[in-house]
Amino acid sequence: MPGQKLYPRATVKKIVKAHSNCNVSKNADVMMFLDYMLFMQTLMKEATIEAKQGGERGITARSVKKVTADSLAKFRG
Amino acid sequence: MAGENQHPDMTPTRRASSAEPFASSNRRSVLRTPASQARGLPRLQGLSASGRKVAPPTATPHARAAFRTIDSRRAAIFTPHRARRKSLREVRDSPRDFLLSLGRVLARNTEVITTSSSSSPGEGDKGPGSDGAGNDATLGSINVDDEDDDEELPKRPRLSLPIDEEDEDDSDDLQPHRSVLIDDDNNFTMQSIEMPRRAYSEQPMNRFSMGSVRMSDYFDTHDMLHSEDVGIDSGFFPPTVALDETNITMGLEELPSPERLDSEGNRPDLGRESDFKIEIPVGDVNESTFLMAPQVADSPDRSPVANGEPMYDDYAPLLDQRSDNYDDEDLLGGVPALEDEPVEAPAEHLHDEAELESATMKGAERRGPTKKSIKVSKYGIEYPSLPSAVVKRLAQNFAKASGAKGKITPDAMKAIMQASDWFFEQLGEDLQAYAKHAGRKTIDESDVLTLMKRQRQINPNTTPFALAQRHLPRELLQELRMTPPAIPKRRRKAKGGAEDEDIT
Repeated sequence: MPGQKLYPRATVKKIVKAHSNCNVSKNADVMMFLDYMLFMQTLMKEATIEAKQGGERGITARSVKKVTADSLAKFRG
Repeated sequence: MAGENQHPDMTPTRRASSAEPFASSNRRSVLRTPASQARGLPRLQGLSASGRKVAPPTATPHARAAFRTIDSRRAAIFTPHRARRKSLREVRDSPRDFLLSLGRVLARNTEVITTSSSSSPGEGDKGPGSDGAGNDATLGSINVDDEDDDEELPKRPRLSLPIDEEDEDDSDDLQPHRSVLIDDDNNFTMQSIEMPRRAYSEQPMNRFSMGSVRMSDYFDTHDMLHSEDVGIDSGFFPPTVALDETNITMGLEELPSPERLDSEGNRPDLGRESDFKIEIPVGDVNESTFLMAPQVADSPDRSPVANGEPMYDDYAPLLDQRSDNYDDEDLLGGVPALEDEPVEAPAEHLHDEAELESATMKGAERRGPTKKSIKVSKYGIEYPSLPSAVVKRLAQNFAKASGAKGKITPDAMKAIMQASDWFFEQLGEDLQAYAKHAGRKTIDESDVLTLMKRQRQINPNTTPFALAQRHLPRELLQELRMTPPAIPKRRRKAKGGAEDEDIT
């Protein structure tokens, strides 16, 4: 499990609020964070694959950057 | 001296030259034989005489070449300075030799005369006699001549031989020699002038490829000196290139880093650098901050911000935390007017106080953390980015889950943070679109669910609650339980599935 701690709910709410210029209903941020976690999952998975293909040890900035665009596109609404 | 060195070079060229003009070369060899006999006989009479008489008729190009080489070597042995003279005369006589060869080809009868005449002045007695005897019929006469030549050789060869040989050898050798000589001359001239230039040009090529920024970095006070030294080159190349070359040469000679330090003083003079580094007037000391600024910022506006940050102490009472954290990107995002004022003011202050290293260092330190924490969206609303600890924890967990080894490097972490920022930006825009489409001003859970469906994160097989069960801590699950009754049903179904998945 990703963490025993709560994630900073207020922060997520603020971020989305700022970007959308909308209010965020009470528990929507939980789902948003869930979505974010899914995004991170795909991102890291892709980055790992990329790193392995590139023969790198561990995940590097290069692999992450390479994969970021695709992962973001996947999570386009 | 030089002639001996040249000999090895000459042999191959002769072959080539001899191979080309067949008829003429045959005649020449015939003509030459008496003269060469006269020279060569002292050592090997019988062989040389027989060989030469036999050779010209057969006259394979290689054989001819071999004979010529032998002759030339002997001549070189007897007359040490011959080669030198030859080299000089070749250049002079070249057109005439062309004419001679031409004449031999075109008018064969006259050839003999011309050659005999050429040989006659040098050899006097022998030349005409030998040439007359040159007809293969009378061996005896030739032998006699050869013997006479043997006696005469030590005296005459310097006068007679070189002339005779030159005419013959030159006709054969000249063309290749000329080419060789010309090439050498060209090379020497090229080298004398261009060798340094090539060295410059080669280096700049690498440097240019490295990037134009470096050239500006390498600009030095030394440039003037070097440009003067290289005055010749500057004429050939456009002035900027010459400068660059000199700069680069400087860079090679010395270590780049100290030069950059030195060069910073000069930078204000140059137009280019001003674009990159407006902060430069601050002083040489502040390099660390300079380096920071160009990486982060595209717009010139930032540099004052960067410099201004150390001054926040003065303005801290007046401004919120946010304004303290105020960032380069904030400017881009469109910043409330209130915040602009403090930023600009401190920038001015900084220019005054720029000399203090400590101040800038503090500024850099402050700026680092603050930048990460606060940004401004396109709506002008400031927002923090997720705490890096949370992101890192997530990233590490997922990386482990996906089988990555080792740790996530700081660079990778930066990239991940950037990606997550982008993600939230995208998320906010999408959710806003959904909410507005539904005629709401509030983003609802349903919006998020729709979004996740669109993202194909949710489908009949994976309910949101399965995902939630899998990923979210219990506290958050409890929050989700608060949601309307329809969803919990789904969740219960999902729970079973989720637990199964967890087990697997």
